[in-house]
Amino acid sequence: MNETKVGVFLSDCGKQLSKILNFEALTDYVKRVPGVTLIGRSSEFRRGKGLQTIVDAIKDGKVNRIVVAENLPKLSEVEIAQAVEDAGLNPYLVEVVDLKDHCAWPHRDTPSEATEKAKAMLLAAIERAKLLEPIGKLEFRALKSALVIGGGIAGIQAAIDLADLEFEVHIVEKEPFLGGLAARAGRFFPTDDCAICIQSPASDVKTITHTSRKCVYRSGFSEIPKLDVHTNSKVVEVEGVPGNYKVRIEKRPRYVDETKCVGCDLCTTVCPVEVPDHFNAGLKTRKAIYINIPSVYPPAYVIDGEVCKFHECTKCVEVCPTNAIDLNQKSEQKTLNIGAIIVATGFQEFDSNVIKEYHYEDENVITNLEIARMIDGFGPTGGKIVRPSDRKPAKKIVFVQCVGSRDKRWNEYCSGICCMISLKHATLIKSVNPDADVTICYIDIRTTGREHEYYYERAREMGIKFIKGRPTEISRDEETGRLIVDVEDALLKRILELEADLVVLAPAMVPAEGTKELAKILSIDLDKDGFFKEYNAKLRPTETKLRGVYLCGGTTFPKDAPTASLHAHSAAMRTVKFLSKGKLVKDQRTAVVNEEYCGDCEFCPVTCPYDAISLEETTDGHFVARVSDLLCEGCGICVGTCPVGAIELRHFKPDQMKAQMKGLMSINGTLKPLVLALCCSECGGTTVDSSGMAMMKYPANVRVMKVPCTGILQVHHFFHAFKSSAQGVMVVGCKSDGCHYEVGVQKAEKKVELAKILLKEYGIEPERLEMFNMVYIEGDKFAEAAQKMTERLERLGPLQLMEGR
Amino acid sequence: MNHEKEQKTTNLAFSGTITSQLGGETITSCYQCGTCASSCPVAKITDKFNPREIIKLSLLGAKEEVLSGDSIWLCCSCYNCQERCPQKVEIADVIYALRNIAFEKGYIPNLYSEFASSVTNDGRIAKISKFMEQKRSTIGLPPLQPTGVEALRKILSATGFDKLQQKKEGM
Repeated sequence: MNETKVGVFLSDCGKQLSKILNFEALTDYVKRVPGVTLIGRSSEFRRGKGLQTIVDAIKDGKVNRIVVAENLPKLSEVEIAQAVEDAGLNPYLVEVVDLKDHCAWPHRDTPSEATEKAKAMLLAAIERAKLLEPIGKLEFRALKSALVIGGGIAGIQAAIDLADLEFEVHIVEKEPFLGGLAARAGRFFPTDDCAICIQSPASDVKTITHTSRKCVYRSGFSEIPKLDVHTNSKVVEVEGVPGNYKVRIEKRPRYVDETKCVGCDLCTTVCPVEVPDHFNAGLKTRKAIYINIPSVYPPAYVIDGEVCKFHECTKCVEVCPTNAIDLNQKSEQKTLNIGAIIVATGFQEFDSNVIKEYHYEDENVITNLEIARMIDGFGPTGGKIVRPSDRKPAKKIVFVQCVGSRDKRWNEYCSGICCMISLKHATLIKSVNPDADVTICYIDIRTTGREHEYYYERAREMGIKFIKGRPTEISRDEETGRLIVDVEDALLKRILELEADLVVLAPAMVPAEGTKELAKILSIDLDKDGFFKEYNAKLRPTETKLRGVYLCGGTTFPKDAPTASLHAHSAAMRTVKFLSKGKLVKDQRTAVVNEEYCGDCEFCPVTCPYDAISLEETTDGHFVARVSDLLCEGCGICVGTCPVGAIELRHFKPDQMKAQMKGLMSINGTLKPLVLALCCSECGGTTVDSSGMAMMKYPANVRVMKVPCTGILQVHHFFHAFKSSAQGVMVVGCKSDGCHYEVGVQKAEKKVELAKILLKEYGIEPERLEMFNMVYIEGDKFAEAAQKMTERLERLGPLQLMEGR
Repeated sequence: MNHEKEQKTTNLAFSGTITSQLGGETITSCYQCGTCASSCPVAKITDKFNPREIIKLSLLGAKEEVLSGDSIWLCCSCYNCQERCPQKVEIADVIYALRNIAFEKGYIPNLYSEFASSVTNDGRIAKISKFMEQKRSTIGLPPLQPTGVEALRKILSATGFDKLQQKKEGM
């Protein structure tokens, strides 16, 4: 680019700022700064005539860098950048300063000091603007295809949404049939509806009304064009980048051709192998060739490869009328081209065997999922509630809540849905068998959902007994053969020994098997309880730290069916938002590596929260870091990590930062010690904004410099601030666990700690440097901190650097 | 317990006293599930002892009731409750902490006091009776010699135990 010509545009905010700041003095000052070719003044520059002045100046070639002093900086930035771009100048050549919230308002009692600070702020912006470089736009391919991992209720719902919108969708389910937990649960609360019904696909031409809902197996969802269901399958490897993944899946053999099987059931009549049916809680047996329940999807039998005798037997092959059985099937792998991935792997029951004193190994001690199979008319007992040991009717049934949940030894959290599940099973038992004696032992009954409390009330009306107390032991009375549950009724302060035919445990709900492995394959994080971690529980509840990977259903926490469904639709919406244009467009506000300096260390790839940096071998055998422009979020944490300064942000280069810092410290104008507040552009920076907006006061010696994230800061930045005449440095970032870039603020905290040690070593008081963690609503805290920092520095006296000695 | 009485006996700082005592740190995690009470062999035979109730009263600040009563001295230290507590409250240790606080306040059951005197005076946890001496000689064991009780007394004095003990005896 040719010679830099900076246009400075000063808004006085409807003559409000000129009541405090001396705009004549500011104009005079700016005029003399080298490189400034134009000064504009107006009451506002973010719209109307003011904005037109900027546009005209660009079009006339008078300026090629823009500095605007305007209020509402974030809004202004967007509006001005857009206009500048339309006028033909790169929008990244604009620098906006907030003379209102960062200067005039907080310092309104000392107008001459405020004016001097404003000069420094303008100089800093001009010097930075002179060094700005244009930043281009990048486009990446986005395939309109999605992979849904997990074929439970959540996965199916998300898949239907996407397929209805003509995305190519693949569902990968590890089991031979779809339906997940809902298929086993049978019914769900609080309506006692079938758990397995789903919303009919919009594409179903035979659907009478849009309110129609159908069982998974007959919904016809699998007939939506471009929707593929891969059962008996799992994800083995994910390569590529968001929008363009290559996903390798492995399909275990079914040994039955889904396209030929007619479900006639002849095969099971001849199969000689009989094994316990785990789907049905081991309460009945099944053959080596089987289906779980009559209505399964896909409607095709499967052979259990672990127990089938294969070619020693072949009876099913001989009897099959459609030649659907192929005993020679092998595992096969397929690679799918995928734009985005939705994880819907859900949860499962905690293994109750771990709690020895509950004796889950006793046949008559079962879990909620097992009693659900008993209650199901398609289940192993035809809907009868029996004692598994002798198949006689169970008359006395005790439910035990919180088995392995709310328990610091196993799972600290409350699984949330087990109270309602037990209430559902207790009431279903009572409604078919009013004489049954049903007791629920609980710590707290939690029925927080819509209509859930009514469900609890109905249970009390039906005569279900409630004992507030967590049982300590379940044992078998050898004489009577009945179970004994030792529990204290804490309300009556009585120690009870409850007799029971059947004890139903309500185990914690834990992440589905394979969750850890999948997290590794996808490079996404788990929370401390082992569930997948969403990016932000409030704002991005279905997103992960990686663009292109979404979560729904019980993957993030145990959920009831309605909530899982809600989550699924939300994840589908996010996926559409991400892929619908067929391309991803982003500005190249990314990190870039100077390969001459970079070499053979792997600090930045490890530190990058987005896995955006990889090490690649160069022709001379060295390893250098390469940044993926697609994955990079532009936070600068890598910059703060690199030991040799070999990586920098395109929009926040070291010389730009230094020039800005020098500018801010160039004029004091107060009798107080200069303080540089290095703030992130997220919570930390907006705290400063909000303190100004709310007219909270702090002295004008405090100067604010925003960086993308405090994670970009290195120890040398603090030293540079001191060298540039700062007497103290404040680092203001987000809350420790609330960094917008995951770990940036934590890195900054470490950097500050380290710098304090070094400062002490160099004979400089470490109190001159301090870390603060703040959020927008804490503007008062910033004002207070700035005031206190100033007082602290006044007490310490002037900073003595080596040069001064 | 009527409302007025509860107001008088409530000492909000009491749970803080317990958590700052060795063994008492975990008491605030208790959510009153009653696993301890139903695990307890003592509670099975007497309603004078209920670990859940002791914890509840302590957390509510019923300091005098907990410290002056008999119940904290009835724990047999089997640690069943502690093994099974889902909140990892160290119940038996909490009860030891309460006993230590009670002891300092001079709330010491006579049995414990006699036991302590026996240790400080003879260095033995039980008094040696003539019957015992006779029995020893019939099976050929030598008579019991006096123990080195001086060293023990030094330790008890250094830890301040003797003063606490005297305080009790003076009451």
